[in-house]
Amino acid sequence: MAKVSDQLKRPFSYTYNVVVLVLLLIFVSLPKVNRMSARIVARRLGSKLLHRFAPAATLHSHATSFGFKEVNEEEKSQLVGNVFTKVASNYDIMNDLMSGGLHRLWKDRLVSKLSPFPGMKHLDVAGGTGDVAFRILESINSVSRRATEDTLEDDLQEETQIYVCDINPNMLNVGKKRAQERGLGDLGSLVWVEGDAEKLTFKDDSMDGYTIAFGIRNVTHIEKVLAEAYRVLKKGGRFLCLELSHVDTPVFKQLYDYYSFSVIPVLGELVAGDRDSYQYLVESVRRFPPQEVFASMIADAGFQKVEYENLVGGVVAIHSGVKI
Amino acid sequence: MVRGSEMVKISKTLTEILVCPLSKQPLRVCDKSSSLISDAIGVSFPIVDGIPCLVPRDGEIVETEDAPSECKADSFDSKNNHKTT
Repeated sequence: MAKVSDQLKRPFSYTYNVVVLVLLLIFVSLPKVNRMSARIVARRLGSKLLHRFAPAATLHSHATSFGFKEVNEEEKSQLVGNVFTKVASNYDIMNDLMSGGLHRLWKDRLVSKLSPFPGMKHLDVAGGTGDVAFRILESINSVSRRATEDTLEDDLQEETQIYVCDINPNMLNVGKKRAQERGLGDLGSLVWVEGDAEKLTFKDDSMDGYTIAFGIRNVTHIEKVLAEAYRVLKKGGRFLCLELSHVDTPVFKQLYDYYSFSVIPVLGELVAGDRDSYQYLVESVRRFPPQEVFASMIADAGFQKVEYENLVGGVVAIHSGVKI
Repeated sequence: MVRGSEMVKISKTLTEILVCPLSKQPLRVCDKSSSLISDAIGVSFPIVDGIPCLVPRDGEIVETEDAPSECKADSFDSKNNHKTT
């Protein structure tokens, strides 16, 4: 354990994150991968779960919930917009602080599940500050370097297009700046677009991949976002969603709730001078449908092979599906 | 001139894959007004700092008399052979 306390002095080191992650995973050891096609898991959780979170009721309550507050559907988008305009400049630092740097590993996992390839057309929705898009691009560039060098590879690499779509211009501007700092700005592979996840501005069947990381929780109509994701993906295209999700393990749940409601808003106040936005964040996580319900919504949108993987006992889940 | 070539590069990518978020019909680039025009519904969407703003609420109704004369000469229009003006 001495090793862990040494690591604690360097909170953002990779080793520390791995140690914490491993300990937590051992502690909670929930089944990691669940296939929606076998609804056995849903039945095991008990019909009362499905009854309590009947899809129609969930959808309606999500559209009118802003954290624990009730709002008009029309207002929600504006309120969420205000939150992200305020948090944009501190977004990445706060992510590191709140998750102890773990969000980086979670995004790495998301991108590895995507299996990016040179020449792909990918859409990252709610991708504001660019974390996922940069990882995809860097993964593709490293794949290309490992492969034999020939002109075909170079051409394909040039054809790679990662579209970063976000409804909030402040987040996009932060992303664009970070791209420059990372040396990815002038490649032409990154295209920044201000757009609405519920009304995407891309052609049908145009994308090889679609990701949405920590974004779907904030939309007004989840089912519209899923329908649009289905529309823009090509046949064989993959949908991947990384989102904060639900923890059920008894002791860990209490710890997580305490951390969420007592620590995070205070962190927001101290670091960003903005308690309310982070209060919204933790509340919105609780209001988002649980893993099984969200998986069934993805299936309802038409996706096949819908499954999800819990990370850190369900603090985060990666849901995926394929358009066939 | 760097700004001009950035616009050109963006335009090429845009016309190939972007559509109007509301009608899902093709968009037309207008370099002069730095915007994307959806002829299907007569709305123009601005391009700000090289970022196209295609959220429905960003759209502005286009005066039909102005649009053809200002933007007709753009070379990228040749890609969209079926204009609905």
